[in-house]
Amino acid sequence: MSENAPETLLRTPLHGRHAALGAKLVPFAGWEMPLQYDSILGESRAVRAGAGVFDVSHMARFWFRGPQVAAELDAALGGCVTDQPLGKARYTMLLQEDGGILDDLITYRTGEEAYFIVVNASNRARDWQTLVSRLAQTDCQDITEDGGGILALQGPQSWEILRQLTGQADLAPGFLDLAWPDSPFGPLFIARTGYTGEHGYEIFVDSVQAGPVWDRLLELGVAPVGLGARDVLRLEAALPLYGHEIHEGITPFDAGLRFAVRGWKTRDFIGAEALRALGEPSRELVGLTAEKRVPREGYPVLADDEQVGEVCSGVYSATLDGPIATAYLRKGCAGPFTASARGKEFPVTRVDLPFVPHRSRD
Amino acid sequence: MRPQDRSYLDSHEWARLDGDVVTIGITDFAVEQLGELVYLELPSAGDSVSRGTSFGEVESVKAVSDVNSPVDGEVVEVNAGLGDELGPLQNTPLEDGWLIKVRVAGPDALAGLIDAAAYEELVAAQS
Repeated sequence: MSENAPETLLRTPLHGRHAALGAKLVPFAGWEMPLQYDSILGESRAVRAGAGVFDVSHMARFWFRGPQVAAELDAALGGCVTDQPLGKARYTMLLQEDGGILDDLITYRTGEEAYFIVVNASNRARDWQTLVSRLAQTDCQDITEDGGGILALQGPQSWEILRQLTGQADLAPGFLDLAWPDSPFGPLFIARTGYTGEHGYEIFVDSVQAGPVWDRLLELGVAPVGLGARDVLRLEAALPLYGHEIHEGITPFDAGLRFAVRGWKTRDFIGAEALRALGEPSRELVGLTAEKRVPREGYPVLADDEQVGEVCSGVYSATLDGPIATAYLRKGCAGPFTASARGKEFPVTRVDLPFVPHRSRD
Repeated sequence: MRPQDRSYLDSHEWARLDGDVVTIGITDFAVEQLGELVYLELPSAGDSVSRGTSFGEVESVKAVSDVNSPVDGEVVEVNAGLGDELGPLQNTPLEDGWLIKVRVAGPDALAGLIDAAAYEELVAAQS
């Protein structure tokens, strides 16, 4: 979670509110962000039971515009965006020539010749350089630091909360839909997206109105939720995180993310040729549970005293009330499995992913 | 100020000497840094521990951390109150959330450890 001593940490438009709520603030990808307000597990449960709001204004935001933007993005990204409907978001990734994953990202088509892209804060500089170099004829703009706030409203009550916030029902009615409503807080940009597996929205709002929107959400009973709970919730939903389930040494096939490189057999994009040359992956991403100890990132996974894989991410799940983890295991390996915590082995059980069923389309 | 009837370690353990037995625990600052605790691993009675060396692990939602022994000696008791429920460790680590009791060789077992005032300064610097 820590950074190499950045001179000054960036602050989101909601920084003062986090401090006033007594949040534990930590450096994260060059930003000072709330790790937790009170309890990581309590905040996780609040999202699954009702609704929570996360400040994700640290996420990097780029605009790409021009007559060649769709064709150029199609060649630059793993996913197809030329057929992406106006008013829809799509999940895809940025690949290396060899098919390894540089980052995952969401593209939002806001016009015939305009795409908005949100990428991981930790990869902002590299993604920006990579995209700019691949988009020779497109106007590129990094608006991360003056792009206002992003508030992720997540949980089964988020539909009702959004209605009360905006005064309008049924905004962005379908999963990955976009909406541009006027609201008591001025114009908002809303995407039916999120990182928890719950029904939810990401609300893009200017710096001036970010605070008032946040205050209103809390008034409506929404729980403030920090990055700690965000990690618990995304892992329960088995949503990948760069640096863990996905990175340069992993292909979309290893990660079970074929849908993010739709059309890879025939389309021409950076990394496509390498993907077509790959055989069946030799490893698979699996879920693990354990009795008491959390299988942590980097712990070897063993079967019959032989290492067959390694843990990518591990947390204590608030919803399951027990440890959960993801790991890449050699394919076709039968258990029983153990994980090794600094030389001490303990049993782990392979389970299907996700740990908690997705309700994002409900 | 934390209790002055005991000594502290830079790595946030405490040790209190009663006769030839030292009670060992972790401080409230350590617990606060770890967050919500989910698992604890301790040695058994009869095991030996040595100063500056890990004798157990405490695991929170966020991280796993070693617990270091402030003394050399033999474990004579493990806190049975932490067997199923880590509440006492989470809430009152300086009292009934103690971890183990260790029999030590002599009354100078805690020599070289820091006192409450020095520990306060250390915590202030890390807060």
